[in-house]
Order: sequence, then C-alpha cells, then structure tokens
Amino acid sequence: MRPFTALSALCGLLLSASSFVGADSTTSRVALPRDFKPPQVFKNANLVRTSNLEKGYLRETVNVVVENVDKLPQSDYYLTFPSDLYENVGALEVRDKTSPENGRFDVEATEFIPGSDYQYFVIHLPKPLPPSSQTTLGISYSVLNSLRPRPAAISQADRQYLAHSFSAYAPSAYTTVTQKTKLKLPSTNVPDYTTTDLTSSVDPQRQGTVYTYGPYDTANVAPGTVYPVSVRYEFTKPIITASLLERDLEVSHWGGNLATEERYWLRNNGSKLTDNFSRVEWTITSYQQLPSASLRELKYPLKPGTSDPYFTDDIGNVSTSNFRPGKPNREGSLEIRPRYPIFGSWNYSFRIGWNNDLSAFLRRAVTGADSYVLKVPFIDGPKVPEGIQYEKAVVRVVLPEGARNVRYETLEKSSSNGLPSASQIQSEISTHKTFMDTLGRTTLTLTVEDLTDEARDSQLLITYDYSLWDSLRKPVTITAGLFTVFVAALAIGNIDVSIKKR
Amino acid sequence: MAESPTDVLLKGNTGRNTRGLLRFIILATIAAAAVSSRLFSVIRFESIIHEFDPWFNFRATKYLVQNGFYSFWDWFDDRTWHPLGRVTGGTLYPGLMVTSGVIYHVLRFLTFPVDIRNVCVLLAPGFSGLTALAMYFLTCEMSTSPSAGLLAAAFMGIVPGYISRSVAGSYDNEAIAIFLLVFTFFLWIKAVKNGSIMWGALAALFYGYMVSAWGGYVFITNLIPLHVFVLLCMGRYNSRIYISYTTWYALGTLASMQIPFVGFLPIRNSDHMSALGVFGLLQLVAFADFVRGFVPGKHFQRLLTSMIVFVFGISFIGLVVLSVSGVIAPWSGRFYSLWDTGYAKIHIPIIASVSEHQPTAWPAFFFDLNFLIWLFPAGVYMCFRDLKDEHVFVIIYSVLASYFAGVMVRLMLTLTPIVCVAAALALSSILDTYVFVSNGPNPRSKANDDSPSEGLRSARKPEVGITSYLSKAVMTTSVVIYLLLFVAHCTWVTSNAYSSPSVVLASRMPDGSQHIIDDYREAYYWLRQNTEHNAKIMSWWDYGYQIGGMADRPTLVDNNTWNNTHIATVGKAMSSREEVSYPILRQHDVDYVLVVFGGLLGYSGDDINKFLWMVRIAEGIWPDEVKERDYFTARGEYRVDDGATPTMRNSLMYKMSYYNYNSLFQPGQAVDRVRGTRLPADGPQLSTLEEAFTSENWIIRIYKVKDLDNLGRDHSNAVAFEKGHKRKRATKRKGPRVLRTE
Repeated sequence: MRPFTALSALCGLLLSASSFVGADSTTSRVALPRDFKPPQVFKNANLVRTSNLEKGYLRETVNVVVENVDKLPQSDYYLTFPSDLYENVGALEVRDKTSPENGRFDVEATEFIPGSDYQYFVIHLPKPLPPSSQTTLGISYSVLNSLRPRPAAISQADRQYLAHSFSAYAPSAYTTVTQKTKLKLPSTNVPDYTTTDLTSSVDPQRQGTVYTYGPYDTANVAPGTVYPVSVRYEFTKPIITASLLERDLEVSHWGGNLATEERYWLRNNGSKLTDNFSRVEWTITSYQQLPSASLRELKYPLKPGTSDPYFTDDIGNVSTSNFRPGKPNREGSLEIRPRYPIFGSWNYSFRIGWNNDLSAFLRRAVTGADSYVLKVPFIDGPKVPEGIQYEKAVVRVVLPEGARNVRYETLEKSSSNGLPSASQIQSEISTHKTFMDTLGRTTLTLTVEDLTDEARDSQLLITYDYSLWDSLRKPVTITAGLFTVFVAALAIGNIDVSIKKR
Repeated sequence: MAESPTDVLLKGNTGRNTRGLLRFIILATIAAAAVSSRLFSVIRFESIIHEFDPWFNFRATKYLVQNGFYSFWDWFDDRTWHPLGRVTGGTLYPGLMVTSGVIYHVLRFLTFPVDIRNVCVLLAPGFSGLTALAMYFLTCEMSTSPSAGLLAAAFMGIVPGYISRSVAGSYDNEAIAIFLLVFTFFLWIKAVKNGSIMWGALAALFYGYMVSAWGGYVFITNLIPLHVFVLLCMGRYNSRIYISYTTWYALGTLASMQIPFVGFLPIRNSDHMSALGVFGLLQLVAFADFVRGFVPGKHFQRLLTSMIVFVFGISFIGLVVLSVSGVIAPWSGRFYSLWDTGYAKIHIPIIASVSEHQPTAWPAFFFDLNFLIWLFPAGVYMCFRDLKDEHVFVIIYSVLASYFAGVMVRLMLTLTPIVCVAAALALSSILDTYVFVSNGPNPRSKANDDSPSEGLRSARKPEVGITSYLSKAVMTTSVVIYLLLFVAHCTWVTSNAYSSPSVVLASRMPDGSQHIIDDYREAYYWLRQNTEHNAKIMSWWDYGYQIGGMADRPTLVDNNTWNNTHIATVGKAMSSREEVSYPILRQHDVDYVLVVFGGLLGYSGDDINKFLWMVRIAEGIWPDEVKERDYFTARGEYRVDDGATPTMRNSLMYKMSYYNYNSLFQPGQAVDRVRGTRLPADGPQLSTLEEAFTSENWIIRIYKVKDLDNLGRDHSNAVAFEKGHKRKRATKRKGPRVLRTE
C-alpha cells in the first residue's frame, strides 16, 4: 500500500509544481522536411525590429503584429533566421507584447535544414489565433559572433570598427505589410553605412546613435527577399567571447557553505594585430589610459559576504588580481587582470571561485520538512559595458549526498531573463563522488548554448529532498570504517606469524 | 614504600610504555616541525613547483597519472630536444614520479579530490618527516643513549642543508632520495648487526627503491662495499657480514637492474665495480675462513698468500683487459670532476656551467649546518672510542661525504645526514653527562656499583660524572642556547634563502606590501594560449623544462643536457650573427626564440650574464666559428655598452636582449641595470626575427622567426626596403668591375 501512496503523492507534487522540470532532459528539435516552407497562414501587419549593438554581440527585439489570414485558428508561428545566424541565436524569448507578465510562449527549435537559406523556430501560441484576428508578439533574442571586425587586422593602438550586415527587410516566413529597423550604435563614429532608396526620404534616418531603416511598405515584397545593408561603427573595446564556461556550485549542509567555481575559456573576437605585440607601445597606452581593443581587466561583482576568492589558471595563481570584500549589504568586487592584455584572436583561460554562506541561498520548503529550495544565480560572470558572449555554458550544481527528487526551474520575470526557454536547456542528473562519499553527491548539470551576459541576473531554483539520515550517513560510515580498521589491526596484531620454535 | 604518581608513570612496565608514548609524540612533533618548516613558500607565494628540474618531474608525473604506468615506461617524448626527441621513459629515474602517482591514486581511490600538483608540491616536505623518523632509527643503532636518536631526528628535520632540497615545491629526486638513503643505511646497519637475511633483503629492497629515485644511489653502492672492505681489513670478518653483504648485493643489484636507465650498468660501469670486487673478495675470505678449519696453520699461511696473489693478479688483469676492450665503461666525466675540480671547466663546460656543481665555499658549511658542523668532528671522535661495526660505518661515511661536499655544492646534501648523526652522538653524550639532576650517583657510577665492593674507597664509590650544579647549569644552558640559536638560524635560512620558487619573484612596494613579479608565467602562459600547439621554442637550456611544463610547447634543448652538440648548436645560434643564425633556426623548425633579459629590472640571472657559457659550449664544438676571445674587448672586458666588440653587438643574443629597449628611454639614456652601464644610443636592428611578446618587466622576450621573404630577398634587404632605404647598390658600382669567376 505504501509505495502506492508515495507514488500518488509524488504525482500530486509533480502536478502542483508543473513549471518545475524533472531531471534528465535533452533538447529535442522538430524535424522538418528538406523542402519545408512554412504554411502561409499568417501575415505580419507591422514589424519593428530594434537591433542593439552597444555590446559586443547583437541583441535584437522584434515586435510584430501577427494576423491570421487562414480560415482555421492557427497556433504555430514560424520564426525565420538566415542559416548562417541560426546556430548562434541565443536566449530566444517570445511573449505577448500586450501582456508580457503572462510568461513566455513555448518555442521549439527545428533541425537544421541543409541547403536552405532560412531556418526556423516554431512559436506555439498558447491559444490558437482565430481567423483574421491579430496578436502582437514581442520576440527578443541575441545573436553571437555575428559582428565582424573590419578591418580584420589593426595595429595595436588603432581604433577598432565592427561591421553589422543584415537585410533591410527583416527575414520572415510571412508577408510583412510595414516594417522598420532601428539600430542602436555604441558611438557616433560611424564611417560607413549603406544608404537605400527604398523610401522617399533619406534612408536611414539618423538621430544621435540611433539609425532607423524604414519604415518600408513591403506588402508586395515576397517573404525571404534580402536587401543587404551594412553598418560599420567604432567599437574600441574587446569582444569578449567565452567559448566555454563551466560553472560549479557545491552545496554543503554540514559546512553551511555554497562554493562556486567558474572556469572560463576566453577569446577576444576583435581585430587581430597586424604587427606583433609591442611592449613599449602598450606601456604608453596603459600609462596614458588610451582606449584599446584589448581586454585588460574584468570586474567581477560578488555577493555581500563572499569570502576566499581565488583566481588561477593552468599554471597557478594569477597574482594580478584584487579583491574588495563586500561590506554587509554591499557587493564585493573581484578585479581580475589576465596575465597579459588580450588582443584580437588571443585566448586566455582561467578559473575563479569563492565561498558564500549557504543560508542566503537555501531554505526549507513549505511542502515538507525534509525538502529544500535552493535559489542561486544561473550564471554570475563579470560585469563589463562591452558585454560577454558565452558560446556554451555548463552549470553544475552539486547537491549533498543523498539528495533526491531534484527538480529545477528558472525564474521568469516580466521581461527577458536572458535565458532560453526550458526546452532549450539540457539537463542531466548524475552522481559525483568526492571527499569519502559512499553514494556520491547528486549532481544536476544544465547545459545552455549561446548565452550572453544578459543572463547575469537570472535565478535558478532547485528543490530536493534531503533527510536527517542523509546528513548523518558520512560520519556514521567513517566511524564504522575506522572502527573496522582498528579491530582488524588488533586482530592482525594478535596473530603470531613467527617461524621460531614455540 | 609510597610511590609518587610520576614514579608510577616513569618506572617499570608502565614507565616503558610512558616513555614509548612520549617518544612517539616527540617524533610526531619533529615530523610535524619538519613538514611545516618547509611550507614558507606555499604560504608566502602559492602551491607552485619551483625552479627548473622539478618542472620536468612534474610534467612526467602528470604524464604518468594520465597515461598509466606502461606508457610512461615506454614514453618517447617528441616535445623536447626537437627534432631528436628523448626516450624519456628510459632516461629518467622513475621513483619520484611513481611515488607521487601512487599517492595520488590512493587518495583518489579514497575519493579525495586532490590535484596532482599539490601532491607533487607537498611530497618533499612529507618525505622529510619520514627522513626524520629514519634518522631516529639510524642513530638509535649507533648509540645506547635514548636522546641521541631524538636529537638526530630533530636536527635532520630542520637542518638547512637538507631543507635546501626539500622545501614544498622543490619536487626533485632528492626529495625522496634522502629518506631512502638514510633508511637504507639504517637497514644495512641493522643487517650487519644481526647478520639477518631479512634485514639484508630489506636493505636491498630500499636500495632498489633508491636506485629508482636518484642517481646518487652510486654513493650507497660504493659506501656499503667500502664499509665491508674496511671491516675485513680490520680483521672483523664474521658470518654476519657475509650474510648481510651477499644478500644485499645479490638482491640489490638485481633490483637496480630493473630500472631501464640503470640497466646493465651495475656489472659494466666502473662506478659499480667496487661492489662487485668486494663481493668477490668476501667469497674468498669466507672460503679462506672455511679452509682454515681444515688446514694446519703453516700451510694455511702459504696457501692464503699464494691465493691472494693469484686472485688479485687475475682480477686486475681481467679488469684492465675489460676496461681497455670497452666491456666495462670508463669512468664518467662527472666522476672525474669529483676528483679534479678543474676537470669539468676544461673538458665539460656544460657541467661546469651549473652553479650547483661548483666547489663549496667554506662559509656554506656553517650556513647549511650551523653548530652541527663543529659538533661533527666530536661525534666522529666518539665513534672512534667505541668503534663497533656501525661506528666504522659512520667514520667512513663522514670522511667520504666531507670530501665530496667540499668538491660540489650539491653534495652537501649527502653530508648532512651523517653530520646530524655525529652531532647528535656528541650532543647526547654531553647532555647525558650533565643533565641528570639526581641526588644519587649518576647512572654511570651506578653501573660501577655492581662491581665487587673491594679495593680502594675511591674506586668503590668513584666520583665519575658531574655533581656540581653550577657546571650542570652552565652546560645545559649553553646547550639550550645553542639549540635555540640553531632553530633560529634554520628558520632564518629556510625563510630567506631556500623558499623562493624562482619562477615567481617577490619585491616590496613602497608601502611595504608584497609585489609579485610574475613575468615568467606571463610569458609562458602567453605561449601556451596564443601560439600553435606545435610551435618550436628555442631558448637556452635552463628554461627548457619550464617551457615544457608551463608553456606546453616543444623545445630544442632542456635541462636534461643529454646531447652536448645540440646544446652547442643552440649556443652557436645565440652567439652568431643573424646571417649565420637564421639558417640554424630554419633547419631546426624554430618558430619562437625566448630570451631572458634582466636589464630593466636589474634581474641578474639573465641570458646576457649566462652568455659566455653559451659561447664556450658552442666553441667546444665549433672552435673555428665561435671564439670566446671575440666577445671580450681588447682589454679583456666583457662589455655591452659602446665599447662592446662587434662580435658581441652582432650576436643574436645581444640583439634580442636589447632590441627596442632604447625606445623606453629618452634618446641616449638607455641603461642596463644589471650591468650598470649606459647602452649605445642606437639600438640593435633585427631583420630575421620580429618581436612577438615581451613581458611586463621585460624579463622574458619572445621573438618570432620570420618566414622566408616572399620575394626571395634576404631579410636585411627586405627590412631596409620597408624602411625606405635605397639598396646599397650604388657603393658597389663605384668599385672597379670584377669578373665573376664562379
């Protein structure tokens, strides 16, 4: 009888917390036929695309008024991306623009269609859109590695320029009636930009650092038409790219400690150096504090009460770092300076870590005495104005030995939290044996691709069950083990193995 | 009889247990002190591998841990000695790496998440704790005094002569070898005393371990036979010696031959012949001893004489023949340099160029051993008083090790253990004589009480020992003061002289805070991250191991120095003109050249100061092309300023060191802070290399070797063209036209 009740209780728990994702999920993609064309059941009544180029990656929001032109209610809207950008799209989020607090829509990626110019995401509208009615979608996403440094190689003290190439007609699977594109540039130094003759007035319109292409009347332009446009603007800052971020969070109930370690594989994607590195010139540059496209320093805000930070790389401690411990209620700051300035196409990999008091992150759940809720940042990471792009982030949460029923959720806000939807996060439960564990610690591993530092403030919520016996397992095991050793030593010591005559 | 509680604890069976416990606690404390006194550098800097050779050992250990024992055994390393490679598995002493590999795997099995780096860093301190224990056992064999062993252990734990080679991070063969040395000697003494096969076999086992760990095993290989030989000469032959020596030699030789690097050396190399000879001699003596029981004395004398003459004649002829024919390898150069300190300078500059191969300066003895050095002769003298078999061992060891320590700085290490033993013997006897503050007669006179109570009154109650409290107090106080001074000295020496990683330099900021100069790692990490994985780095051999370990890039030469010609090639490339060097660089696939330059910071261990050794070593192979004289001015000065010779100023090393250095200063104001001279106003020009990276304080400078010119010009022309100079054709045309004959 008891297993049955337990099962039903479990089912009830799962149902009540339906937003929680259970363990072990892999991202699945919708397979599409080779010559797939999205059914023309929608029309974009109006499309406004805002491209934010203030950071080292492209952040776009697309607000589009969608109208159902079919006779049946429709719920699958196909979002289109050019094939070369598709794999670099991250943190895609779609909401109802009029009521963003209702949460994000379910979005699914599709299998890459080889040979096709466009790839698709499928947006599942929560309620099918009735014929000839409209809804407004707020779509936001970031595109990594799409900005190209031009010229590709500069000398050490030169300014760096990035080129953003795109189509003046926003890519869409559906006919768009009117559309415009706003570019937010980081500076007014824009040596080159494409002018078009698609509107009667000057195109693009400039207003400070905002360039607006359009509005265009594109009701008669076939979907998928490309009008190439490019903007080249100054960006004398490093384009910080982490090809991999591994982040470990280790929860210790005994120590009341949350240990964090992050391992970065950084690269500067900016312009390469035409000549080699010159120390003399660099000394002058850093002495006069001139702007440089190299990465000199990363400022890493840490939570109040953070202690024992370290900054090492493959060959030991990096002595060029500075830690300001946070006063109560004030953030600490870890200023890490790589061993050498990181110029375009240079790499630098390192690891940093610190400890926090667990009580600020862990609470007993209201549902049960042995159930806990852990709330931690999904990623931390340096806070720099030029932004950071993470090609792949692996977050590993090591829970105490014996933790069960592990479920997780990412906290949603009314605006984007920088994370992709749950279906794009790959999760896995495994065990990790360390420090004389017998069973191994339950470990939740979350893998996300194409993340940016927008996700800095996102929170990860993990619930798990952990009983008193679980916490006593290790002391009991070690005591028993030592006892066995002593008894064995006593027994062996009493055996007489001498070969002399008795 | 009322017993006070302390009596219960100190007398009888309980007393023995109490003393045992006390001794255990003292030894544990000594071991803890030994370990913790070696942690200065970890606390002051970080857990990092020190200096040069340890980086190779560390890299080899990582290879062992990652690839398993068998692939380590067969390791052919193509990332060193490019393009030759090195049969690393067969040319190293694997004991150190295997030890830390075993420790690592055991800890991992117990699921401790240790880093192999930390195992390696802390291996030497850990083993120094064991050395203190082994020292205790060894000294206890020498003396009946209970304090001698403890004193020796304490001395061994903190004596700078040993700490110099075993601080945390000094991950070198000596780290475990000294423990093995002392412990093997202990087992040997035990075997000689007991005549036991078990102890002999254990000695052989640890000898085998020692062979796997350090080239210094030859010291044991020669010392034990010498001990036996001296005992034989003293007429002390007995079956105990026979049993222990034959057991040790047979098993130990077999064990040592299991190491690929040693292989058949024990039966072919002159260094090992004494052990073999004594083994043969011992058989003869045993045979003679056996025959003596059957043959009358007169016949026996004649038989013995003829046999000795015959056997010595045969074996001497055999040795000469085998040596001449080359079956037995001649003495190695390092061996000759032990007897003739000038030998290496003339014949093997590469050995002479290492600072630790220089003869020891006499203050070093005091620096490394403090007051032990003057207790040492006293201890040796006390061994003469008893002169049992084990005391003979101490005497021989002392004499030999004193000589070797005088010849080579690094051999101070082998002297240290015996100094500790002898000093502990001397000090313990002083303490035993003075310290007993008892009302009754001291132990020595008590022993005499047992003798029949006859004879003179003074003989019956002899006044042996010190009864005056004043002299007791004076002596014990002065001993305590000396001991305290010793501890202070050891701490000071360890902290100041022996705890610098030399990879990381420390300096003080104006406000007194510590500033770390981390140029080596900055440059090595730059190489590691931003160059091709197979980019070949050329540097002087000192930095080969560090580049292999920290930058993970192939090198041309490293601290293994097995191929003198290859090192001379690098020396030639460094000391020649660019036109000569560039083909050498191209032929060896060199992508980057790394030089160490201390001129900006005043860091004296830089390549310009080592430059003459490069020149000398290159001259050894190419006496026609590289001449040391050319690098000195006419007045015999070694200069880098305006007065430097053209050869010096055109050498690649000079150019790489000072390239672009001028632009850091006002025109004409460039100063080299190591040499303390003002440099020429025009800096050197480089045409075949280009600066790739220079570290923050200019200590490491890395140059990229240019590819061949696209237009087929030579590089000096190409550089001149790019600077807008006209080709110097005009000057040539002015001269009379010459018919080209070739």
